[in-house]
Amino acid sequence: MALGVQPGDAIGVISDNRVEWHIAETGIQLCAAVNTPRGTDVTDEEWRYIFSHASVQVAMVETPQELKRLNRLRADWPALKEVILLHGDVPPGDAARTLADCEALGADYLSAHPDAIAGREKALHPDDLFTLIYTSGTTGHPKGVMLTHAQMMSQIRNVPLELNCTDRVLSILPIWHIFERMFEVFTLSRGVCTYYTSIRTLGDDLQNVEPTFMGSAPRLWESLHHRIVQGIQRAHPLRRLLFHTAYGLSRWYRASLTAMRGETLSPPPARWWVRGAWQAMHALRWLCVLPGYGFFNAAVLEAVRQKAGGCLKATISGGGALPPSIDAFFRTIGIDVLEGYGLTETCPVLAVRVAGKKVRGTVGPVIPETELRIVDIETNEILYPVAPGSSTAGTDQKGEIQVRGPQVMKGYFKDPELTRTVLAEDGWFRTGDLGAVTWQGCLRILGRCKSTIVLLNGENVEPEPIEARLRQCPHIENVAVMGQDRKHLYALVVPDEKAFRAEGHPARPLAELAADQEVHRLIWDEIREAQRHPGDTGRHPAIHAIRLLPEPFTRGAELTNLFKLKRHVVETKYADVLAELYALENPGPTQRKERR
Amino acid sequence: MNGEETLILHAVDQALLALMIVIIMFGMGAGLTVADFRAVARRWRLVAIGFGSQFGLMPLLAFALAWGLRLEPAHAIALILVGTLPGGSTSNMFTYFARGAVALSISMTTASTLAALFMMPLLLHIYTPMFAAQLAAHGVDGTAHEFVIPVGNIIMSLVLVLVPVIGGMILRRYSRGWAKAAEDTAGFMAMIVIVYLITSTFIRHFSLVLTTAPQVYIAAITVGLSGFFFGFIVSRWCGAFPIHQRAIALETGIQNGPIAFAIILLSFDSIALKNQMLWLGILYSTFIVITSSVFTLWLRRRGQRDWEITKNTLVHRRLFGHHFVSRYPPAFVPARIRHDPAQGGLEETKRDAGT
Repeated sequence: MALGVQPGDAIGVISDNRVEWHIAETGIQLCAAVNTPRGTDVTDEEWRYIFSHASVQVAMVETPQELKRLNRLRADWPALKEVILLHGDVPPGDAARTLADCEALGADYLSAHPDAIAGREKALHPDDLFTLIYTSGTTGHPKGVMLTHAQMMSQIRNVPLELNCTDRVLSILPIWHIFERMFEVFTLSRGVCTYYTSIRTLGDDLQNVEPTFMGSAPRLWESLHHRIVQGIQRAHPLRRLLFHTAYGLSRWYRASLTAMRGETLSPPPARWWVRGAWQAMHALRWLCVLPGYGFFNAAVLEAVRQKAGGCLKATISGGGALPPSIDAFFRTIGIDVLEGYGLTETCPVLAVRVAGKKVRGTVGPVIPETELRIVDIETNEILYPVAPGSSTAGTDQKGEIQVRGPQVMKGYFKDPELTRTVLAEDGWFRTGDLGAVTWQGCLRILGRCKSTIVLLNGENVEPEPIEARLRQCPHIENVAVMGQDRKHLYALVVPDEKAFRAEGHPARPLAELAADQEVHRLIWDEIREAQRHPGDTGRHPAIHAIRLLPEPFTRGAELTNLFKLKRHVVETKYADVLAELYALENPGPTQRKERR
Repeated sequence: MNGEETLILHAVDQALLALMIVIIMFGMGAGLTVADFRAVARRWRLVAIGFGSQFGLMPLLAFALAWGLRLEPAHAIALILVGTLPGGSTSNMFTYFARGAVALSISMTTASTLAALFMMPLLLHIYTPMFAAQLAAHGVDGTAHEFVIPVGNIIMSLVLVLVPVIGGMILRRYSRGWAKAAEDTAGFMAMIVIVYLITSTFIRHFSLVLTTAPQVYIAAITVGLSGFFFGFIVSRWCGAFPIHQRAIALETGIQNGPIAFAIILLSFDSIALKNQMLWLGILYSTFIVITSSVFTLWLRRRGQRDWEITKNTLVHRRLFGHHFVSRYPPAFVPARIRHDPAQGGLEETKRDAGT
């Protein structure tokens, strides 16, 4: 306020997770201003766009390094009045203030105007903006999502997680991301202590903090799974045997438990006596396995759980599909992964698995105060929920997920036209995701409406599950499956440099690896092997050919901040490679080049 | 003595049992270090409560049950023998899952196993003469004959049982990895062998299941249960904190069953007597697994909040230094742990934890 910030002014904060972020956030909220956050990995282009689009008045940057970048871009932002540095010293000659300066200024201002904060608080309306978050969505310019105080409060009210002041949350997501942002407020409201970590220190921090809860993207669970499996492979053969016994018993035990609780994906048999017999069989198996499970759970699986700190009550995964095998693994060793679903536009949580409805392969039922419907993409007919008196239940019908509830955004900032395309007058928001509702009322996510690849023969293919399966190959770091309007599917593969190095191959840049015929063959064999065992991905057309890419996919460029693939970016960047691949279908002069 | 009568355990079973005892005791030793002995000295107050509960309370309970239920002398002696046993490593595992103080459980196991060398003969000497006299008067199979409790044999068997423990400790001294594997394997093997022995005995001697008097079942079940119950109550009276109460209760009720088998097989010579005593041992071992699992689940649920607070406080101290005060809303901390220094929940009750 001392700097002249008015209610509703946009404050841009470019910083990663740190305690000063919270101080800054508290300050901004007390001024009733709007926090427009982003991480330091923001690209210059995005930064330029966001600050000018939001007409940011005051900028806060994390370190002198960001300050230097800011000064370079500053000419484009006439509205920018003040710059505050969160950490480090201001280089001489720069007009920026440090956070300590601001605190001192604020203290002076408060002693002169003791009612200033209360006044702003009183004037604040639930529909006023809490934050403006720019999503680097999978298409076009970043979009400014307007989220209000009321929306944030509805999340705190409705997110069905039971945490209290003895819980320790280990945080690894960027704080400016909506899930983490909401979760921070949520945990503060419950008195939970949050500890920050990073990918590099995660292993140690799990042991030090012994978290009781973690929320993260599927990537983290993949890497944790990888770490545990590696630990087991390196263990004493006897211990390995014990683990496999324990794992097998636990799988039976939990499969029966799941069936008895009605948490299976497919509904139980319809005829009552078949269902009775089926339930009885499961009860019997459950009883038989119970003593052995009890022992092995205590003696072996507990030690495995210790690798994740040993105190995890549950974990939450969102921001992308969790590969079913990983989900099953954590479930079996006794760590519940509650998969959830949400978008920045919905502040973000829409659905999450809850006790009694932990159905694997789904994201659970929608949270309270939220309505859900499934709409046919072609006919716009409402498939779920069905009109009263209808003969079908409307379950297991695939269509676009649409939601209505207190957490749905106000709209895109300064873009009513775009807002109209997703947010209807009556409050229904189009998520752009495909889904279906299971027989218990849990939501299944079945891909993006737009990522669906339609092959030349009209077959629809969801590339995400195929990619998730292929990413589990040891030598593949990332992969993009393409083939819209083509005869076959193609894959662009980023070889896993670390895996090659770990196997004793001399350290080589990715570009060299990608050019190596040997590497190409190895990965091609792996992919063919993976396709022979599609696992949970189900049957799909085979991948016809692959190309290795000389550069990894990076966050902010080809990947969203939650590591989702931005297909259109990959498509444009590797247009020539794709053209080469597609040319294989129409044999011509270009085919020669393919055989390097 | 009837020469034709056979032991309820075959030669193969006996060999298996012997192997199991060696493995279990070896595994128990593999988990022990010199530091554990030092820890006993540091926690002497709590270990003393546990000691009183294990060697004072439990044999008394066993005697009271044997006397009150009018058990046959052989069963009575076996029950008292079970009551005087030291704790085993099983109780440590149960304590872990009951969210009790595992360190205390280990200390108590260590101390009681050592103390058993002289406590067991002494206690048997105190509690069994009445039943030994009955035995001498009527005999096991109806004919009177001379009977005394073979104290010398019992001490010898105890020493024999302790040899693998020392072996395990030596292994631990030289190879941690192998010791860890031995510890895990011991539990695993013990479980398989015990399940095998129990099922094979139950199947082959099913008539025994039917002919055994109900009092014997009651005694076999109740001795463990009352051990849990009174261990819990007494440690509470003595002012132990919930986390220690849970450890002491489990340690009191769960005995080192294999030692009982070793003593019965090695110390007594009448086969009929051995059979009756073994049968009671088998019944105890069977029921204690079930009762202690249920009791552990109950303790776990009951201690959930305590444990969460304790754990959180411990993590805070580890991360932020020993003098960090973790604050909780006053109503949040249950009254029973409000003054527990290990919780450090409220500022005014915060003391040096000394752990």
